[in-house]
Amino acid sequence: MSVVLNEVRRATYFDSIVLMRISRQVAALPGVEEAGLIIGTPANKDILREAGILSEDGNKAEPGDLILALRAKDRPAGEAALVEAKRLLDQPSTSGAPSSDNSPRTVRSAIQQMPNANLALISVPGHFAPAEARKALALGLNVMIFSDNVPIEEETALKREGRERGLLVMGPDCGTAIIGGLPLAFANVVPRGDIGIIGASGTGIQEISCLIARAGSGISHAIGTGGRDLKAEVGAITTLMAIDALDADPGTKHVILVSKPPAQSVAKTVLDRVAQSRKSFTVCFLGAPQLSLPANACAASTLKAAAELAIGTTMATAQAKPPSIRSDHGKCVRGLFAGGSLCAEAQIVFRQAGLAVASNVPAPGASPVTGTNGGHLMIDLGDDEFTRGRPHPMIEPAVRDRPLAEALADPEVGVILLDVVIGFGAHPDPAGHLASVLAGGRHGPLILASVTGTDGDPQWRSQQVNKLAEVGVIVADSNADAAMMALTAIGISNR
Amino acid sequence: MTLNTDAAQSGAGWDTRPRKWSNDGSDILVPILRSGILAREFCRHRPHAEVEAVFDRSIYLRSGDVFVCVGEPAIGNGALTLIADFGISRPLANLGLCPGQPASISDRCIAIDDSVRFTFDRCVLWRQPRWPLSRSLRELNDLCSAIARQIAFESPHEGLGRVVCLRQGGAGETPLARLACPRIARFESWLFGALENHHVPITASPASITDLIGLGPGLTPSGDDFLVGALALLDALAERKAHAALVRVIAAIPRGLTSALSECLLKTAAAGHVGENLSRAVSAVVSGMPDQAVAAIRKIGHSSGWDVMAGILTTLHVVAMRDARPSLSVASIE
Repeated sequence: MSVVLNEVRRATYFDSIVLMRISRQVAALPGVEEAGLIIGTPANKDILREAGILSEDGNKAEPGDLILALRAKDRPAGEAALVEAKRLLDQPSTSGAPSSDNSPRTVRSAIQQMPNANLALISVPGHFAPAEARKALALGLNVMIFSDNVPIEEETALKREGRERGLLVMGPDCGTAIIGGLPLAFANVVPRGDIGIIGASGTGIQEISCLIARAGSGISHAIGTGGRDLKAEVGAITTLMAIDALDADPGTKHVILVSKPPAQSVAKTVLDRVAQSRKSFTVCFLGAPQLSLPANACAASTLKAAAELAIGTTMATAQAKPPSIRSDHGKCVRGLFAGGSLCAEAQIVFRQAGLAVASNVPAPGASPVTGTNGGHLMIDLGDDEFTRGRPHPMIEPAVRDRPLAEALADPEVGVILLDVVIGFGAHPDPAGHLASVLAGGRHGPLILASVTGTDGDPQWRSQQVNKLAEVGVIVADSNADAAMMALTAIGISNR
Repeated sequence: MTLNTDAAQSGAGWDTRPRKWSNDGSDILVPILRSGILAREFCRHRPHAEVEAVFDRSIYLRSGDVFVCVGEPAIGNGALTLIADFGISRPLANLGLCPGQPASISDRCIAIDDSVRFTFDRCVLWRQPRWPLSRSLRELNDLCSAIARQIAFESPHEGLGRVVCLRQGGAGETPLARLACPRIARFESWLFGALENHHVPITASPASITDLIGLGPGLTPSGDDFLVGALALLDALAERKAHAALVRVIAAIPRGLTSALSECLLKTAAAGHVGENLSRAVSAVVSGMPDQAVAAIRKIGHSSGWDVMAGILTTLHVVAMRDARPSLSVASIE
């Protein structure tokens, strides 16, 4: 039976970092179910009470006192944890966990601690990112720059410097990579395999790698390039170096290139390089016109098609035909996307079906949103206009709440199309949030969705799918499948 | 005590020569380089104090309800802060100071237990800079996304930063999040009213403020840091009615809601005094420079900076809502 134990230290001060470190250490001790280490203010006693770990002793603490509170599975475990906790409190600077002083504060000190490291992930304000990236390059490290707001001139200069040193510069604004099986930034847990991905598109890499994983194949490396690498100013420096790297990698048999349509001159350069490779390629330039590809490359118009070409088989869609839309609703489709590439893919599916579609971030062939155009709308909620004052919708799904409420109330909307992107870096339970918004019964538009992720991800894709299904959302196997189901639902034959 | 009244700059005049140690080790001299304006008053008017807390980079002296921090240059200047030059040969942690030691304060030095003397010979006065002119609220609301994203990534799980930026607070979230979300919402409502009304009586829902005091982990509870951020931003935006209303509530808070140290720092902020790093962060926010704001916040403690920034962003959001009220349906001002 669980036991709650509290220890009160009178008039005791610790640095916040020490308090939080010891609190985490105690929480991780064997048999400990919950732990907290906070000063004894009335508000903090409310927190401990809410957590069910406040005892009579703790309740007597004063605001200057420190309360160590824990709940353990049984008394022996609790008392052992309390002894260890007291030891940590008595020797805060010599506790077993690495202290903050051991955390490297510079790239140089990090490489001293880990001399074999060969990649630095830079996530600092954009203004400082180029300087940190240059330090990393000077130390012989490949660089992934997560930061955005880096001028394109700096990006070009950094990539040129990297090229001279034989080092990859992924980014700036590179949100996704998987190197040697290790997910970096926004990425998913996928098995190792022989398919390499080079992408200027974060959610594009995520969708493709997850579809490949769910089909039973795996990824050798997924190299992000940053969204501007295929612009003429940058000249695909990282893409070309990534092709070189995967070409030389014996663990990679097939390579997928995924990006928005590149500058024409850049596309030629990239495809000329592809032609020199002895490996096969899938080229997915979302929305690009007909490409003249070399013999070792195939074109994919969607992310799903790219995954299928890479694994050499068509992925079956498990979903039955979706129910028809309600007769009292219109036949417009409203897509509300967290992933920019997923929004682009849905537009492409609609354009391929011959339908007009508008978007705040229009793919080739789509129209910009004017405020007056009705019809099918695909909204990229990661665009600036929706993220003012709040994080990206992959981090904070509430960004979608208002547009979703508007779509649910719009009689012209017959189908709502949604994406849920999980994995490292994403919200811990985006489907749970969506479900809470949609719960309570709906009689509005049909809601179709896809979940980009795997069951290896912290959020477990199958659990996310179940949460959506429980509130009546029809979940497709892929984003492209969801878009095609939307077409079917409004009576458009897309096959 | 001799205090040069020239404005001091961070790091200016800081040399790394070894301090002067007596042969028997009983008279360690540590020069104070800079003093905040309230720290100077403390030293002028309070001859006796006691060491209240000792940390790696700073110590706190206490006299009555007032605390003064003596610390390394890296902690940043502040109204209640004395920046000392400990040199590279003997950091603060090696001075052997401990809570309970008596401190005698004269115009020349602070002597702690006759073993360490902090001297004022080289001390200059640090003054908090004035707030810069603010950009338009619409522009400022736009820059919040960059800062909120950084908070979501960098702030520790334990504080209010993530609670505010990720809107956590559902049944599955932490006890802090479950308690904090409705309390922050009540604060937002109170602040909206304070911004709207010409006369906010002191009795008007003080619980909307006091419920946040003492809430959360850390040496200074997250809720206290949150309110410090709110105070600083209202001051910087010259939102005088709302600032005054918040100051009145904080000045009247009963004892026992938070620790004596945190209450002292909160009331100091209510009196218009904030530390150098917070001052830089708020100045950067109102100047529309999110990167600089985040860089300054990173220098404030482990979680306190992010909690302060949560208060800044929440307050900025409410002020922007007030100004954008005719078009509240605009998605960006949700």
